[in-house]
Amino acid sequence: MPNNKTILVADDESHILSVVSMKLTNAGYTVFTAVDGQEALELATAQRPDLLITDYHMPQLSGLELCQRLRQNAATTGIPTIMLTARGYNLEPSDTEQNGIHRMLSKPFSPRQLLATVNEMLALPAAA
Amino acid sequence: MPIRQLASFVSIFFLIATAAILLLINLDGSPVGIHRYSGGGWGIFSCLLLAASIGGVSLAMHYRTIRQIRGHLKSAAADLNLTRLDRGRGPLVPVIEALNEILDACDNAISRSRLQAKELEIQLKVATAERQHAEAIIYSISDGVLVTDPFDELVLANESAARTFNFELSQADRSPVDRVLQDPKMIELIKEMRQSNSRSGRRIVEHQVRTPLGERVFKITLSCVAEQASDPILRDGKPLPELGEHGAGVVVVLHDMTREKEVAEMKNDFVSNVSHELRTPLASIKAYVEMLIDGEAEDDRTRREFYEVIQGESNRLSRLIDNILNISRIESGLVKISKLPQSMSVILKDAIDVISPQARGKSIEIVEKLTPIFYQTIADRDMLYQAVLNLLGNAIKYTPENGTITVENTVDEAKKTVITRIIDTGVGIPPKDLPFVFDKFYRAEANNHMAKGTGLGLSLVKHIVETVHKGRIFVESSVGKGSCFGFELRLAD
Repeated sequence: MPNNKTILVADDESHILSVVSMKLTNAGYTVFTAVDGQEALELATAQRPDLLITDYHMPQLSGLELCQRLRQNAATTGIPTIMLTARGYNLEPSDTEQNGIHRMLSKPFSPRQLLATVNEMLALPAAA
Repeated sequence: MPIRQLASFVSIFFLIATAAILLLINLDGSPVGIHRYSGGGWGIFSCLLLAASIGGVSLAMHYRTIRQIRGHLKSAAADLNLTRLDRGRGPLVPVIEALNEILDACDNAISRSRLQAKELEIQLKVATAERQHAEAIIYSISDGVLVTDPFDELVLANESAARTFNFELSQADRSPVDRVLQDPKMIELIKEMRQSNSRSGRRIVEHQVRTPLGERVFKITLSCVAEQASDPILRDGKPLPELGEHGAGVVVVLHDMTREKEVAEMKNDFVSNVSHELRTPLASIKAYVEMLIDGEAEDDRTRREFYEVIQGESNRLSRLIDNILNISRIESGLVKISKLPQSMSVILKDAIDVISPQARGKSIEIVEKLTPIFYQTIADRDMLYQAVLNLLGNAIKYTPENGTITVENTVDEAKKTVITRIIDTGVGIPPKDLPFVFDKFYRAEANNHMAKGTGLGLSLVKHIVETVHKGRIFVESSVGKGSCFGFELRLAD
């Protein structure tokens, strides 16, 4: 049951990237993946996804820097964002608020719960 | 005129006069002139003359004794030789006895004073020795010590304090602190403490000092020197005004906590890095297991991929835990080492087999150039295997996709050594970082974005090669071209 929503997933850990994209693809989303912050920034600008799921600690550009850059660009400023990180404790609530990060999910994470969060944010009914 | 002659002359004169008067009275009973006015007057006059003459004679007679007394007292005064006077005979005996009593009393007093002086001298020596001892202790302690007086002058400082504030110890004595110290904050702290004059209170301040060795953080403890009110401090012989007006001196102890702070920071970073490193493989395992349970993997091939990911990540997790435990065991000296003849080539082969899937994931080719397996070295197999895995893991981490990693070992029969090299075509290490790459927790800033790490892997390799196997570790690197990590071990005889 494909839907027309696109999601960008950024993580330097290839296993995480593939498991997240598989979960979302199976749920009908169209998924783009990026292995570092720079690639994610380029993809986000080019594809304008409906949602961004990003790691915090990534090569080239950190998840936080990525969000800051996206906020600065009028075309990408409103993309709802989930940060999926093992370093959530490094972030202040102000960091996440100011950079348009709507949700924080900490690793280890449940793909099921991630999907539920994505569905909720994109206002779709929970997947069966 | 000498007293003695005067006394003789006077006494003879009075004697003759007396004799003449008595003679006149006895010859005719009434001397002309005198008798006419008063018959009794002549008697009294003659009696007086007689007494005076007797006195004169006796004075002349005792003069010798008096002179002796005088001489004795003079010599006693000169050299404090207070022997008693010869008692002798005659009317001067009570005087001599009284003088002897005085002499005895003086003699006693002098003896007592001498004894006290001796005691004080000993006390002074003891006090001097104690002071020197205390100063030696103060000089030897590694914490800096400064002591100031109520005038904010430096009365005592040790080497460490002199080094911290960069002043010459020998020239600082009794100099005002604002001339000795170049640190306004420190001077202010000393003055504040003195003015507060709290005898019991201590003040502990963290303060950064620009020392000749760079910025250091000090824990500074300031306290007032408690002076006894009954024992006024003398300055140029004059007692100081009450402490209440001027405040006491101040003792400053400077504890360099730069290193402690760094270690605390390192520990914090370490714990946060380790927890992140542990979470990453755990996150994959948990996610893939849940995917399997939820039936997200539709075919056998996908399921098999999932199982392999779970297996690989479990291995990564246990390697990480091994690293952490081993490094802490080796460092604390608790590690059990079992050394047996091993072939370096076999160990390298085993490690390459385990790491290959990871290399394939980044399309990195591993080239083997190994010596025949009959060359053996006495080694702990598990530890060397771990060291090689760490080096290979790093090579994969820091080599971009499609790179090459060459694993080679060469035997030097003459030196009886085997050298292992792991050469990558990775990003390389900047020369400024190269001397520190084996330090615990050290990570080259420039390559930090390339991969996550605990900063423990290379430190463990160095421990395994050098501490456990008495070998030698080395690294060569060129930024943009790649790195070569290697180690040399002795061949078994």
